[in-house]
Formats: sequence, C-alpha cells, structure tokens
Amino acid sequence: MIAGPLLLLILPLAVAGIVYILLRWTSLPALLAVGTSLALGWAVVTLPMDQPVHVWGGRQIAMGEAVTFFGRELVLEQADRMAMAFMFFASAGIFFLAWRFAPRSLLIPMGLALLSLLSGALLIRPLIYAALLVEIAAALSVFALQAEGGTIARGGLRYLTFTTLALPGLLITHWLMDRYALTPDETGLLAAAASLLALSFALLLGVVPFHTWVPAVVSDSVPLAGTFVLTIGNGAVWFLLFDFLETYPWLSSHPRFESLVFIAGFGMVVVGGLFAPAQRRLGPLVGYAALVDSGAALIALGLNSKLGLTLSLLSFLVRPFGLGLMAAGLSGLRACSGGDDDVDALRGLGLRAPWSTAALVFGGLSMAGLPVSAGFVWRWALYRALAPSSPSSVLFLLLAGLGVMVGVWRGLSSLLMRPGAIKDRSVVSTPHDNWLTAVVVVVAILGCVGVGLFPQVVAPIAAQLAETYTFLSP
Amino acid sequence: MPTLVDILARVSFLAAMPAVAGILVTAGLLVVSRDWRLDVTALTLQYFFVVLLLTRLIRLEVAAVKGLTGWMICMVFYLTERRASMLEQVPSDEEKAGSRRWKISARASFCLLAGLLVSVASYTAALRFPLPEVPADITLACYLLVGLGLLLIGLSEAPMQVGLGLLTFLSGFDLFYVALEPSLAVAGLLGAVSFLIALATAYLRAAQIAIEGDRSTS
Repeated sequence: MIAGPLLLLILPLAVAGIVYILLRWTSLPALLAVGTSLALGWAVVTLPMDQPVHVWGGRQIAMGEAVTFFGRELVLEQADRMAMAFMFFASAGIFFLAWRFAPRSLLIPMGLALLSLLSGALLIRPLIYAALLVEIAAALSVFALQAEGGTIARGGLRYLTFTTLALPGLLITHWLMDRYALTPDETGLLAAAASLLALSFALLLGVVPFHTWVPAVVSDSVPLAGTFVLTIGNGAVWFLLFDFLETYPWLSSHPRFESLVFIAGFGMVVVGGLFAPAQRRLGPLVGYAALVDSGAALIALGLNSKLGLTLSLLSFLVRPFGLGLMAAGLSGLRACSGGDDDVDALRGLGLRAPWSTAALVFGGLSMAGLPVSAGFVWRWALYRALAPSSPSSVLFLLLAGLGVMVGVWRGLSSLLMRPGAIKDRSVVSTPHDNWLTAVVVVVAILGCVGVGLFPQVVAPIAAQLAETYTFLSP
Repeated sequence: MPTLVDILARVSFLAAMPAVAGILVTAGLLVVSRDWRLDVTALTLQYFFVVLLLTRLIRLEVAAVKGLTGWMICMVFYLTERRASMLEQVPSDEEKAGSRRWKISARASFCLLAGLLVSVASYTAALRFPLPEVPADITLACYLLVGLGLLLIGLSEAPMQVGLGLLTFLSGFDLFYVALEPSLAVAGLLGAVSFLIALATAYLRAAQIAIEGDRSTS
C-alpha cells in the first residue's frame, strides 16, 4: 500500500529528475510537468481519505494514512487537502504557460521539486519543520528565478534573505509556546511569541517595509518563476499562517490582531498603488500589482470573520490567473526586445507580439480587480464587506487598482505606438508569438475571463476551505 | 591518526572567551574584506570557533558534523571563487584597490566603523538581554554573529557577500537554537538550509561571472 502523503512528496521529486534530463526538448518536459501536477491535484481532490483505492497492478493508495518520516508525522488533513489541490492546479497552469514562455528553463524541474517541499511543509507536524522546509524551498527557488544569460536574480537573493531572516522567529515561537504550556503564569512568553510571529510573517509575506523582494522577484528574474514564488510559495506561507492561527487560537483573538493585520495590508495596498504607476519597467509593475493583491488579501483577513477568511482564500485561488498572464506577457515581450522591459525599449512591440501584449493587458486587468476578470470576483465582495465599516479603505483599494491599471495603460500605449519606419508597421508575429503561443494565451485568457463571469466555480471552493478552519468566528 | 572528534576534544580549552574573540575577528574580517581568499579563510575559521562553542551545548559528534557541513560550504565558496578568478581576465577595480598594500579604502573604513558599532551594540545587548538556556559568553557570540551577519547582508548586493552574511547570521542563530531544540532532525535540516544557501549564492556568482564574461567578449 502506498501512503498518500508519501506519494505527494516523492512523485514530484522523481518527475523533477526526469524533467531535468529531458530539458533539452521544449514541449516534453513542460507537458510532463503539467500532466504530473494535474494528476496529483486530481488525486488529492478525488481520492477518498478514509479508505484505500486500488490502482495499477493491484497496488493501493491510502490518501488519509499518516506516515512517519525521520520520526516526524506526515498527515493529509482536510484543510491541507484543498490547499495542496490549489498548489498542484496552479502549478499546472504555470507550467503550461512556461511551455511557451519559459521553455527549457529550470523553472519546470525546480518547480516540481518546490511542489514536493511545499507539500511537505503543509503535511508535516510540528510546524517548526514546515518553517524549515519553506526556507529550503526559498533557497531552491533561486535556481528557478535566475534566467540563463540574464542579469543576476537579485530578487531571488532578496527573497532568500527575507525568508532566512524570518526563520528564527518561527522556530523560537514553537519553543516559547512549549514553555508556556509548562508555565502558564508567564504571560510574557505569549507576547514574545506573538511579536516574533508577526515579524516573521511580515518578512515572509512582504509587508511594508519588508516588501522590497516582491517587485524585485519579478523584475530581474524569469517572470513565470517569480509568479511561482508569489502564488505557490506565497500560498504555502499563507496556509502556514493559517496553521499557526489554528494551532494557537489565542493569536486571532488577540485584541490587536485585527488592527495589526489591517494596517499591514493597508500599507501594502498604498505602497503598491503609489509605486505601480510610477514604474518605467513592466517587471516591477507586475511585482507591485502582486503587492497590492497581497495587501488586499491581508485586509480581508483583518475583517477577522469567516467572510474575510473566505475572501483571502479566494484571492489565492484567482491570483494565478492574473499574475500568470502578466508574467507570460512580460516574458514574451522581453524575448522580443532582447531582455529589456523598459517602456521605451518596448515601443511599437505590440504589433510584433500581439499575444504577449494581450496576456499582459488581461493579466493587468485581473490584478487591478477590474470587472469581467478573475481578480474582480473577490475584490467586489471585499468592497461590499468593507464599505459599511470602512469606506475610506474601499476608496484606497479602488485607487490602488487604478494605480496598477495606469501602469498597464502606460505600457500598452508604448507597446501600441506606431513605429516610425513603414516596414515595421505590418503586423508580423515574431517566432516567440506563433500560433501555439496564441492557443496557450487564449486558453489562459478564457480561464481568467471565465472565472470572472462565473465566480460560482471557485467561490464555493474558497468557502469550503474556510470551513475547515475554526480560529475565526462566523 | 587523531579523528576530528579527538582534535576538537584537545582544543576544547579554547571553547570560551577565546572562541568568542575568534568569532569577533573572523566575522569582522568578513565585513571589511572583499578579497575572496581572506573571506573563505575567515569563514573556515569562524566555523571552527562556532563548533568549539557548540561542543559545550551538544554532543561532540553532532558539533563535528555541523563543523564538517560548514567546511564543505567553505569548499563550495573556494571552488566558485577560484573558478571566477581564473575566468576574470582583467582584475576588477576593487581587486586593484585591494592589491595596494597598507591603504584602506573609504568603503573598508566605513565597514570597519560599522562593524565596530555593531560589535559594541552586540556586547550591550548581551549584557541587557541575556538569551535563555545559554551561558553569557555564548550569548555574546550569538549576538555578534547575528549582528555582523545582518550588517554584511545590508552592506552589499553581491551574491557572495550576501551569502556569507546569511551563513554568519544562521551560525549565530544555530548556536542559540541547539540549546533550545537539540533534535537531530532540526540540526540536519538547518545544515541543509546552510548548504543550500551556499549553493544558491555560488550559482548566482557563477551566473554573474558568465554575464561579465559575455560583456567582455562582446
């Protein structure tokens, strides 16, 4: 019998090795990674937890069976199940885009290895091991972020730095809580643990002023690898935060929890909204759009209610659509301009790379939270939830979305600028923007718009996921 | 032939303030110097002094394994920088400046001053906020490693400098954390984290050299 947790850890690692060997080909490794991620996502969602299932050759898979690995327990719980399904399906989407926009990059094998590590982080108990696995994943992601022949991935280095700085707080918190269990009179231990946790998660989530890695991780790296970090890696950190809140429920009932989370999110929204329209390069713009989105998710969590948690979870579910499209568009445009993503260098490139341009614009619409896009689904619900109690924060959220949109508009106007020479005016697709790329972009755009038009596809999943957590009141 | 554990047992008389002084000197050298040979030597010695202090908190064999991991990291840095220096045809401005003896650059002076300030702050912190479960001298060593590691990270964006800073920071934390959590699994994972940080920064350094090589040939 194969235990489910072991399968989720070992299969991505094994396929990562195979994919690395096959990396000289363009399609095979990417499609193998897509297939593996989809299969694992499907297995996590559909296979029953309480009974083993027969698969090939009379073998059985028991998804709910706990595994002891080096003396630590790995167990697939209901909340982790949905979180892992999100990670696998979102990864499949990113690998699908990488097939056309980052072929033969280390993102594909490293992405699979990261999936294994982050799955381990969600499965393992106690939580100190999860923190260590997230740190190892951050170190590995540097390899995926560094573009071959490109500038040094300083964003990757910063990401690694901030994750490393967050590690001590998470590990010491666990010791403090163990000590508090022995000496409940020492309430100072709780205050110290809460402060350390707040600082550690501020570093991991890119809360202002620790946000510098967020724009950098997209601006000078492989954009889709940056998206992987900001969706899958960041998603794992969010689920780790929820696990901490679930394990130590006094954290969410702390009198300052709401205000602290709200201020953190508000800071990210304001900084992202201010800096996004000021960017002359599209790479940092994508990063600031992600910062606004993360900030808005924190504001939703700051509502300290089941609705707020559902909206936070919904934001992770839809973020890969917008961010993935933006990163894919950015990759395509960089490939056409020789690696430069300055608006001046991209002048008139929209006619030569129409599909990359379309991906960037539709992704930007979603990240700005505009209607008929995936991002609108949860932003609209957030505006409605916030409006009665805090109309000013709704205004700031709208302005931040507008800031992102201004940045995208600025890029688009440069991309569609009419070239000076007549020979450059014909609409000729570059080799990077061929019909296969068009198919991939159209599928991704249809997915993004489809979720925007039919939110009932993803909203119940977020609500179901929120039900598995008990640390917040309804 | 004496084993590593025997050697560590013989020099255990250094595992107090002399080791802390050694940590101050080696971490200070990492902050001030930009010569990779000096940096790798300082990091190697720093791991030696950290292992000496670790022998007071955990079993000698476990401390020896942590030391071996550290020295393997030094080997990774040595091989990367040696390869880089072979590929670099023209010495950089910093190397030219470094070759001028008895002259301290403005950058080195600033780093020295900043290092001194951080060291004084670490000493004050060790007196005012003693760490639980560890003796006073080890508390000082932890604060020095964490403070100077953070300074190193903040002073440069070069992959190797940041890597050295992260490893120094982690050494300081590890020295404290082994007293709280003596689990072998945690020790192993922390070792893996350090080694992967070294590999990641060495990879970025190799990419940097490749880019510089491309620029010089074009």
